[in-house]
Amino acid sequence: MSTGAGVVPAQAYDRRRHVLDLDDFSAEEIGEILETSVSMKEVLGRAIKQVPTLRGKTIVNLFFEDSTRTRISFELAGKALSANVVNFTARGSSVEKGESLIDTVRTLQALGADMLVMRHSESGAPYLVAQHFHGSVINAGDGRHAHPTQALLDLFTVYQRLGRIEGLKVVIVGDILHSRVARSNLWGFTRMGAQVVLCAPQTLIGPESFWKATWPELTISSNLDESLTGADVVMALRLQKERMEGGLLPSLREYSRFFALTAERVALAGPQCLVMHPGPMNEGVEIMPDVATSAQSVIEEQVANGVAVRMALLYRLAGE
Amino acid sequence: MRYFIKNGSIIDPARRVATIGNVLVEDGKVVQVVDLADLALAFEPLDDRTEVINARGAVIAPGFLDLHAHLREPGGEQKETIETATKAAAAGGFTTLCAMPDTTPPVDCAAVARQIREIARRRGVVRVEPVGAITIGREGKTLTEMAELVEAGCVAFSDEGNAVADAAVMRNALAYSAMLDVPLMAHCEDVRLTRGWAMHEGAVSTRLGLPGSPAAAEEVMIARDIALAEITGAHLHICHVSTAGGVALIRAARARGVHVTAEVTPHHLTLTDRWVLGWLEMHQPADVRPARRGSRDRYDAGETGLGLPAWLKPALLPPYHSSTRVSPPLRTEEDVEALIEGLRDGTIDAIATDHAPQTLVEKECEYRLAAPGISGFETALGLALTLVHRGKLDLVDLVARLTEGPAGVLGRAPATLRPGSPADIVVFDPDSPWIVDPAKFLSKGRNTPLAGQQLKGQVMLTMCRGQIIFRRGNFGVGTGALQQASRLDGFLGADNEE
Amino acid sequence: MSEKQILAADDIRRAVTRIAHEIAERNEGVANVALVGIRRRGVPLAARIAAVLAEIEQVRVPVGILDITLYRDDLGLRGPAPVVHATAIPFDITGRTVILVDDVLYTGRTVRAALDALTDLGRPSRIQLAVLVDRGHRELPIRADFVGKNVPTARDERITTRLHEVDGGEDGVFIVRQD
Repeated sequence: MSTGAGVVPAQAYDRRRHVLDLDDFSAEEIGEILETSVSMKEVLGRAIKQVPTLRGKTIVNLFFEDSTRTRISFELAGKALSANVVNFTARGSSVEKGESLIDTVRTLQALGADMLVMRHSESGAPYLVAQHFHGSVINAGDGRHAHPTQALLDLFTVYQRLGRIEGLKVVIVGDILHSRVARSNLWGFTRMGAQVVLCAPQTLIGPESFWKATWPELTISSNLDESLTGADVVMALRLQKERMEGGLLPSLREYSRFFALTAERVALAGPQCLVMHPGPMNEGVEIMPDVATSAQSVIEEQVANGVAVRMALLYRLAGE
Repeated sequence: MRYFIKNGSIIDPARRVATIGNVLVEDGKVVQVVDLADLALAFEPLDDRTEVINARGAVIAPGFLDLHAHLREPGGEQKETIETATKAAAAGGFTTLCAMPDTTPPVDCAAVARQIREIARRRGVVRVEPVGAITIGREGKTLTEMAELVEAGCVAFSDEGNAVADAAVMRNALAYSAMLDVPLMAHCEDVRLTRGWAMHEGAVSTRLGLPGSPAAAEEVMIARDIALAEITGAHLHICHVSTAGGVALIRAARARGVHVTAEVTPHHLTLTDRWVLGWLEMHQPADVRPARRGSRDRYDAGETGLGLPAWLKPALLPPYHSSTRVSPPLRTEEDVEALIEGLRDGTIDAIATDHAPQTLVEKECEYRLAAPGISGFETALGLALTLVHRGKLDLVDLVARLTEGPAGVLGRAPATLRPGSPADIVVFDPDSPWIVDPAKFLSKGRNTPLAGQQLKGQVMLTMCRGQIIFRRGNFGVGTGALQQASRLDGFLGADNEE
Repeated sequence: MSEKQILAADDIRRAVTRIAHEIAERNEGVANVALVGIRRRGVPLAARIAAVLAEIEQVRVPVGILDITLYRDDLGLRGPAPVVHATAIPFDITGRTVILVDDVLYTGRTVRAALDALTDLGRPSRIQLAVLVDRGHRELPIRADFVGKNVPTARDERITTRLHEVDGGEDGVFIVRQD
């Protein structure tokens, strides 16, 4: 097995080879990516939405979990940079499938993949893959752990709209415990100097001290109305229906009453507050349809910006 | 053959002795022990049938007893066999192993217990004593034929790996085993609180997004089992206690006279859940990273290199390395401190390895899906000695928790170096630095988070029934000065200062 | 390291003026001309040429900015990927005479990338190239239409341009020799 003994961390991280989480991004590096994303957005606005930057490179979208949006976003990003993009979708975990994750990765390696964009239901799986793959690995979501490109596109959307991130009050509400989007955004927004408030019933977030140990400046609350006061950004997370079966919530109705984004609640924050959602939405559960389509909502922009941000990342990894 | 082991530091907790001296072994028995006081007068039996082993600078102690080991045979021979397990155990200084019953088939009938003893007799190099299952199939429903299992050589009962979920079954098991005067070894875990777990539930699991196993899952079960032991009067032994709360419960129960004993593993005494972070551990989340490239400077090999740090660092591991996945999971620093305190004050009787070899395939996969377990025999002493080197435990107590303590749990007289007792002896150097290389393990299980770590102290020679069953290099060959200042002095001195 | 000035601020001003005149002459006026500066120092040069043209021809020539990073053929060979800055060409280049402006012409690879980038943005009727300094050592069949100064150099020398819009201070072009 790879015992790790031979893996010298200094080499593994000497240059940016992988994007596994946002925890090892400095504010400066995030800033550079946001700046490059602006240029990528300009490319996407052209009649010919393609530049030759990654010509001859092969990107494999390795998706062990269904995610049409993220996959298409990466596919468009890769193609806009002229890379060869191949989709590999495998349902279920590698163990259930009989082939191990590492075998799959070795096969893709042998087939000449330069970059792996990977989505997996198990937290940490991209770290295992990064140990065995000679090219770059981009985490497109692993279990509850991280979804760095989603966080970067969220940062980019806020940055484009409000012109800054430092000093903003960002409220993330919903199923924090099971959310990789929340964790990555926590790294991203705190590193860029925003004040983050997590809002959820305790069953969907766990003990406060567990979060404060890593993010000491964080605020945790179970009162959404209170949290929204003075908020510049509010992000609702998708509530999986399974959470109720697990006994974490009494009913969707009760959750919706106290934690959904309604027009009245958003009004507490004020008209300048951006409304975000990583998608896909359960309209009527965590967010009301009129809020999702209101003037304050940047949900569609998030999706559009996703391609530009992913282009910026692919470009960066190819360049190093 | 006679063996004359000379000039070592004899540590014999059963006789309350820690001194420099010589041990003479003949026909599988200890024949003579000469302590420091008499050393000048000691004769050195030089003849053709006596091998002189120069143990200068090393400790001579009774062979270690491991209450908790998974030998995997029968049914799991791809992970380990009794032959490889006992050889690895010998390399770790153990001369007696309690073999856990989670084999295939499990030790839930006398035939399997006899089979294990028979294989051990033929191919094992150390003593192997089977532990019987509490319930048929370790399913927590129907009690095994415990009396017959004891007849077949079982020294304790356990459904190890599984907790007995049904309190009524557990009560009956305790009551029944009380009659047989053997301990019931409880794996304490409320599985309803640990469903889908990957690691300890806390700050690290929250950061890594891994489903957690809360300390409370162990504590509620320990509390339940203590209450049941109290009403049945049975001997309850808590396997691999890993939480501060668990230690407190055991301490309180002992204080009011409940017959409860406990063991702790070397890894729970030394490693924490931060090891799952691997080299991310080096990354303090609060740090501000000024320079562009500087952001990765923290991975500088200088900080994470092989030089012996003041304390073990997990920085050699990638994050989410499955070698850190073990059941119960690695806990927090507070838990580690409480476990050490429990070991010091006698709340915890024994250090047990929970040696759990796994194949590469079972480990080299997604973290949560990896089989839990650490191949522990060959690093147990080195890891436990870190407590001595850090001044947390004195060497005599450490040896006691590997010999006298576990013997007491089994209700037997402690192994000792006394004329007439069986020559189960370990000679170990408490100081020599070495780097853990799983490729050199005698165990088939290479699963350890310690690969590449430097430890101080390792077994040089192990003797079981008067036979040398393990020898490192050509240890002890050749003569040295008769009297040598022992490194032991330093350890005893450190203890006296406290 | 030694540095020798080959163009002073006045020389640069004169070169820019001359290039502007040549552009107007070659194209018989500048009605259909657009200037595109290649980041970074082509950008202020294009603006300066446009200013001269505005004076001598009384025409405001459109000026665009081109970032050719995404078209480079040496991505990954020169260390970390540089930040990509915006391309800003706020006019349609199709049918126009586009004059690419850069400070130094060397191997020709930057111009090659710029040509690719331009043709992705539209279909100019003609593309011409204006540079402040041509230092030789071409690796591609590319030649400048308007040159401020031809400077013979050795390969191990470096040409450094300083323009006050980008670098602050005095304008100047220097040859830098590694000793």
